[in-house]
Amino acid sequence: MSGPEAAVDGPLIRRRYVAGLLLRLCVNTAGGVGILAAILYFSLSRPLPGDYAGVFHALRNLSPFLRPILAVSVLVYALLACGSTAALCVYILHRVAGPLYRMELVLDQYRSGGPTRTVSFRNGDQIQPLAQAFNQWIGALRRDRQRWLAAMMDAERLCLQDDATCRAEMEGAVRKILEDMARYH
Amino acid sequence: MRNPSLQPPRPRIRYVSPRFQGPAVLAFAGIIVIGGAIFWQLVDRAFRWIFLHAAIRGHYTFDSAYEVARDLLSWHLASLFFGVFLAGSVLVLLLVAATRRGIGKAVDSLRASANGDLSTPTGSGPIGEFDRFGGKIDAARSETLASVRKIRSDAAALATGGMPLEEFRLRWDELKQQIRTIAP
Repeated sequence: MSGPEAAVDGPLIRRRYVAGLLLRLCVNTAGGVGILAAILYFSLSRPLPGDYAGVFHALRNLSPFLRPILAVSVLVYALLACGSTAALCVYILHRVAGPLYRMELVLDQYRSGGPTRTVSFRNGDQIQPLAQAFNQWIGALRRDRQRWLAAMMDAERLCLQDDATCRAEMEGAVRKILEDMARYH
Repeated sequence: MRNPSLQPPRPRIRYVSPRFQGPAVLAFAGIIVIGGAIFWQLVDRAFRWIFLHAAIRGHYTFDSAYEVARDLLSWHLASLFFGVFLAGSVLVLLLVAATRRGIGKAVDSLRASANGDLSTPTGSGPIGEFDRFGGKIDAARSETLASVRKIRSDAAALATGGMPLEEFRLRWDELKQQIRTIAP
């Protein structure tokens, strides 16, 4: 039981979704690095003193002076990039997390014995074959249930005749149901 | 006819799953922090000698320190961008692969269930959230199988015959009621 069967009704994750995620990640990273570049540009672009000694001393002492600026700019970059990437993850990945959450609710409802509706996800949600597979399973169960009940009803209809015929028909219906149920394991 | 303005607003469901999105956010944050730390170390080390070197060489054609460090900064910023983006892309592809694998197994398990296989385990995915989800599917399947087995044993008892007609009728009705509970 693996991927190829799952691909029958369409991909679990669409390529367009992955491409969109990568594109947004690229823009996000570029934005973070751009902000870092801007901070460093404004820190380093102050004009150097005009005379020889001034420039010499300014360049010699620049490295220790730039250390905290560099640390703060990297920290700002990390915070901004982490924040925007976290927002991106929540915004993009809820197209997978949402359907999973919904399916969990449906499974809980099914297990509690409540009426189970056909599952359909929102537009743009990923993992659509999951809903189709669940509906397929519930549909198969319902068809079997209807067939078994119909067989029992048919047998009951013959109970208007004599008891022996009624009993024979009922036992026949039960045997038919048993044969039908044999596929469940 | 209902007045739509009197109906309470439908709550917007955001569907945020910390168990699924949380680790992804932490992994991306880890990549960004590691990238930033490497950038900081490399640029700090480079700044120590680049300005000293420029001072000693004495070619003061630069208007600002930025002109001294421009090439070095451009190179390191480009490396930071490509490093973080490529590592993030690999993480995205790993996440997609893990999702395809985990959910693919769940889909196959449900399709097998439609064909009557309610006992083969769904199998665990590499992400805990999918493992937990697979467990929920397995629980639903095993409960269905238990119901089917109960109905089957009751039906087998009815089919063997030998019981009085009154008891047969009673158990027949019970069987019908049990069948009605499947996938209501």
